[in-house]
Amino acid sequence: MLRKNPFPSMISLRNVSLAYPNGVHALDNVSLEIGKGEFVFLVGHSGTGKTSLLRLLYREIAPHSGEITVDGVRVDKISASRVPILRRRLGVVFQDYKLLVDKTVWENVAFAMQVTGAHTKDILRQVPRALDLVGLAHKSRMYPGELSGGEQQKTAIARALVNNPKLLLCDEPTGNLDPGATTEIMELLGRINIKGTTVMVATHNQGVVDRMRRRVVRMENGRIIADEERGFYHRGLGESQVLSG
Amino acid sequence: MDWGRVKFFLGEVVRSFTRNKGMQATAIGTVTVTIVLIGSFLIAQASLANVGTQLMRQIEISAYLKDGLSSTTTKNLIAHVKADPRVLSVDYIPKKQGLAELAARTKGSLDLSILTENPLPDKLRIQVRDTAMIPAVAASVHALAGVADVKYGAKVVTRFLQLTNVLHRVALVILGLFVLVAGVIIANTIRLTVFARRREIAIMQLVGATDGAIRLPFIVEGVLSGLLGSLIAIVILAIAHMLLWNRLASALPWVPLNGAAIRPLVLGAQLLGAGALIGAIASWLSVGRYLRT
Repeated sequence: MLRKNPFPSMISLRNVSLAYPNGVHALDNVSLEIGKGEFVFLVGHSGTGKTSLLRLLYREIAPHSGEITVDGVRVDKISASRVPILRRRLGVVFQDYKLLVDKTVWENVAFAMQVTGAHTKDILRQVPRALDLVGLAHKSRMYPGELSGGEQQKTAIARALVNNPKLLLCDEPTGNLDPGATTEIMELLGRINIKGTTVMVATHNQGVVDRMRRRVVRMENGRIIADEERGFYHRGLGESQVLSG
Repeated sequence: MDWGRVKFFLGEVVRSFTRNKGMQATAIGTVTVTIVLIGSFLIAQASLANVGTQLMRQIEISAYLKDGLSSTTTKNLIAHVKADPRVLSVDYIPKKQGLAELAARTKGSLDLSILTENPLPDKLRIQVRDTAMIPAVAASVHALAGVADVKYGAKVVTRFLQLTNVLHRVALVILGLFVLVAGVIIANTIRLTVFARRREIAIMQLVGATDGAIRLPFIVEGVLSGLLGSLIAIVILAIAHMLLWNRLASALPWVPLNGAAIRPLVLGAQLLGAGALIGAIASWLSVGRYLRT
């Protein structure tokens, strides 16, 4: 049984399986519904398929079988030429920030708009807005090498948000950060969620998950083994525990 | 016009072009060598094309007329041959003149005074516009009433045509190989610059840049390298031409080199175009490898 969801669907996976060419089964018959405006943690040990699941959503890889819908788009069936259009509708944030070291904060954020052919007047309006949101407007002329890890991640988040995506995917966003910066980043993600963006965070960080008390989807060996509202990092402690599949 | 976009694009190209100076120099150098080779080939071809033309001009068709044709018939015959668009000129050589020419050519080694009558027939000496048409024209003249026989240096003509054909093809194959080798070297060089920017390409893909948008700066970069390389090559060719041409002409007096057949502007434009094309294709292929991941 799929979890009954009060929100209209943002992400829908139905019986999704994924095997890598070396025969490893990354995902095994995974089904998941995430509504618009939700904040969802994806937890589990390394190698349980969290990253694979995210990569399926922004179509870095295609599933072996099953259906994937993101904001109404059948991602599993999308043609290669439509992938860029999909990517502009969602933002992705990584543990290693993926910033360009020879560009300033401002240029890194603007880059996401420039390479997708945005007009200059839109860039001049959107980039300061994104930098304001993450609180880096005063460091817009600095280079990533001159920033702390938290500030670099904020830059990456600003870049992910500059095109006003409806969905923000984060793969271990605080994996390289100290506790203070981790809290700041998670608070920022919470604010972004309140503004209406659906946020999905894959993480190992128990403290973050337990403090925020959001929906927690737990994976193990390529399967979803728990899906709890207001959950904790460890299963069975949250409210209204619902098992998927 | 969104100047901000233009500025960003040009900035990206310049940044990338100046970041990998060593690799750019390699690519440009390869283009230069290739274009110098192609240019030398084209110059040689243009200046030697004339040799063939001049040799072929000396080949003509002799049409021997039947005995006892009336002068009207002969005139009509000449007019008919002249009317053929393939024919450049027709000379009528009556038997008397033919004998005189024969006497002149043999310079007394043959005693022609023993002849009681002139054994030579009247003859038409026909020059054809295009040497490749000699066999066809000869055949159609032979078919005319009043023509007894037709002779031309059949073997010489066909041999020469075969030889020039073969030489032309060999030269084209060699040229093609040059271009191929240069393309591979340039593609490899550009692949290194692409490799240096793979992180940037990955980010562009992540934020939703189309393949075309990712490719474009690299292709512009390749075209720039190609243009720069051919420009250097053209300068080298021009200097070499200036220094060597007269010496070459005086060293080979029997080869009718035709300097006028070389049109510097056309050749320059062709070489620039070739350089730009090599650069563009090489970039296209190199980036393609990183897009299909």
